[in-house]
Amino acid sequence: MSLPVQADLALDRRAAAGRSPSTVVARQTARKAVRSGVLWGYVFGLYLATQALAYATSYKTVVQRVRLAKEFESNAGVSALVGPAHEIQTVAGFTVWKCLAVLTIVGAVWGLLAGTRLLRGEEEAGRWELLLAGQTTRRAAAAQALAGLAAGVAALWAVTALITAVVGRSSKVDFSVGGALFLAVAVVSGAAMFLAVGALASQFAATRRQAAAYGGAALGVSYAIRMVADSGTGLDWLRWASPLGWVEQLQPLTAPEPLALLPIAAFIVVLAGVTVHLAGARDLGASTLPDRASSRPRTRLLSGPTGLNIRLMRGSVATWGAAIAAYSLLLGLVAKSAGSAISSSPSLVKVFERLGAGAGADAYLGVVFLIIAVSVAFIAVGQISAARAEEATGRLEHLLVRPVSRTSWLVGRLVAAAVVLLAGGVIAGVFSWLGAASQHAGVSFTRLLEAGLNIVPPVVCILGIGGFVIGILPRAAVVATYGVLVWSFLVELVGGIVNVNHWVLDTSVFHQMAAAPAVSANWATGGVMVAVGAVASALGVIAFRRRDLQGE
Amino acid sequence: MGVTAIRIEGLSKRYGSVHALTDLGLEVAEGEVVGYLGPNGAGKTTTIRLLLGLIKPTSGRAEIFGLDCQREPVEAHKRLAYVAGEASLWPSLTGAETLHLLGRVQGRVDVAYREELIGRFDLDPSKKVRAYSKGNRQKLILLAALMTRPDLLVLDEPTNGLDPLMEQSFRHCIHEVKERGQTVFLSSHILSEVEALCDRVGILREGLLVEMGTLAEMRHLSALMVEATLDGSVPDLSKVRGVSAVAIDGRVVRCQVRGSIEPLLKVLAESGVQELLSREPSLEELFLAYYGASETEDVPARAG
Repeated sequence: MSLPVQADLALDRRAAAGRSPSTVVARQTARKAVRSGVLWGYVFGLYLATQALAYATSYKTVVQRVRLAKEFESNAGVSALVGPAHEIQTVAGFTVWKCLAVLTIVGAVWGLLAGTRLLRGEEEAGRWELLLAGQTTRRAAAAQALAGLAAGVAALWAVTALITAVVGRSSKVDFSVGGALFLAVAVVSGAAMFLAVGALASQFAATRRQAAAYGGAALGVSYAIRMVADSGTGLDWLRWASPLGWVEQLQPLTAPEPLALLPIAAFIVVLAGVTVHLAGARDLGASTLPDRASSRPRTRLLSGPTGLNIRLMRGSVATWGAAIAAYSLLLGLVAKSAGSAISSSPSLVKVFERLGAGAGADAYLGVVFLIIAVSVAFIAVGQISAARAEEATGRLEHLLVRPVSRTSWLVGRLVAAAVVLLAGGVIAGVFSWLGAASQHAGVSFTRLLEAGLNIVPPVVCILGIGGFVIGILPRAAVVATYGVLVWSFLVELVGGIVNVNHWVLDTSVFHQMAAAPAVSANWATGGVMVAVGAVASALGVIAFRRRDLQGE
Repeated sequence: MGVTAIRIEGLSKRYGSVHALTDLGLEVAEGEVVGYLGPNGAGKTTTIRLLLGLIKPTSGRAEIFGLDCQREPVEAHKRLAYVAGEASLWPSLTGAETLHLLGRVQGRVDVAYREELIGRFDLDPSKKVRAYSKGNRQKLILLAALMTRPDLLVLDEPTNGLDPLMEQSFRHCIHEVKERGQTVFLSSHILSEVEALCDRVGILREGLLVEMGTLAEMRHLSALMVEATLDGSVPDLSKVRGVSAVAIDGRVVRCQVRGSIEPLLKVLAESGVQELLSREPSLEELFLAYYGASETEDVPARAG
């Protein structure tokens, strides 16, 4: 009853402010997409900048650079993982090779999640219903949402381009402004394409989760096709069959090929067009593909809050687990060849010696396990976000008005999340060992299992901080936990290149993590991190017991 | 009356400078059905959320069957069931799975009664929650509460979104609950619902309990509506004890009388009374009287 009235008031207010109510969906979507785009623009830009500067400072002479290039240009394993190396004896070539594939994947995942969240997620939450009761048709609303997402991509591009162009001015790096801008285009094109994929998947699926799963499958297929194309088996033409291959064909900085933007642009336009068409052809809240609206009851797990939690999270946890397993396996597979490349570079060996590591496969894995730690930390943020959503939506009340104590609920959630994180570490260790062992990289199972377990303390610490914020400031819990993760990652990234005050470095949970398996895990520090997380969570639980439940 | 189901003493809740609830005192005996009335924002939901321990009081305390709502919520919740006016449930679970889960969490379910209720409320439990309409979701949480046969039912606008047929089924269920000796605390703004179901009624206004009693008591305390058609002209009633809100339309006079009606009758009899109608105020009139709509002449036209 009160909703239409509120909508009217909202429209009146906007009309009074001189804004057209017919673009409300576009503006709302743009606001959220731009916020996220700017944040990730910083991550992308700083990643590009640190990689370029790192290369320029660690490979100073032509001889060193050529040796590195020789090692990697013929390395099929690394090429399958991140794409072929072009001109990596130059800063430009190395930066593109080191960053483009990684950032394209990160951008594609961002695009998928943002696209499905802002289209299907908003619709699922019923917010579109309110807006559509106004003056917009479903088709126009979908078009507006796409325009809002485009604004997010533009923000991502602008921040990335700005940072890249600024760093490009440095004499050590020396990118042309045009080159830097085109590099930024290449880096965000994966995000743009998979935003469109996410938008389209949002039309097919009835839930955000399902839409993300469809989009994730598309991303997996694209990646697999690109891998085969880049694995040196003579199937190079397959690159044109994968959106991720098109990005690679852009070859920014080294041999720019703007024509490869054509399939990318066409892909986005076609997907956006189909999205708008399907949005108009279906009912609000419904999906294009048949949705299984009913099913036989499966009650095995539904005996209490913990069982419910497992039931609700098993899908997404399994997906993350599979992704981490696949990624760890790939890293294991290329560890030997990447390690020997490191060994052949005296300056890199020096860098690794400074880390306390030797050279070889374990040194390489010691560095890349940071990326796995960050991936697992995203699970921690996801768990905090899911716990907060239970309270924000009011679903938690159905449990708490029954004989369930607040303490047992929150502790149960946090313990289950910690178990998931532990499993993530074990999976990373086991699968990287499987990959490494198949290539006879000479890294033992125990060392890699230890390396996998080594990433657990920092991510448990992030989880614990999330539990604390849920207790004291629930509405900020997700942003704060996400913030700790991004901050820790950026500090560790920048700190590896530039001299940063050690007090700042110490604020990064990832900086506290030993670079296992390159060096032995430091269980004392790990124990401290787990203890910090546990104490923070305990305080969070106490605060949670004493406060009011808070909705959105 | 036996055991006290709900005891509330000096309960207040403040959000910053907003007093959502001020110094509430209230008792509900076991087996009673109590209605809790008030417009939106009067503090009904705040009271119930305090009672359930979902929010913390600024001062005062509340007990359910002698158990402190804040310190012993788990024990207290074993004896009650709650229905909210807005049902946000897990969209991926089916109706049957939701009922199973909530029954297991509660720890007791009358399975035969659950099946009977599913039939009575015409619910398809194989559907996923996200496929349910708002009304069907409401039925689901209503069923989840009723099927546990709780000692105390706390209902916060429970028929929100139900069609009139289901509203009938709901009333039928509450009558059964009452016959079984269960206690009901019903917050509502549907006055006919409260009038039909409740033994006692509390009226809340801007966080203050302004009235509490049986409908009969409340009617007795409030004014009687009188309408008379006279033979002659209407005499001056302004000096008559207990009379107020006089409205004259030719030879017809309408007014309210508090206390004894005798003084008024005497004055009217002098003009010769053709027809005299009097009746007690409806709950709606009582309710409106507490909310500033003091002019209550808008009495529905007399029947026949």
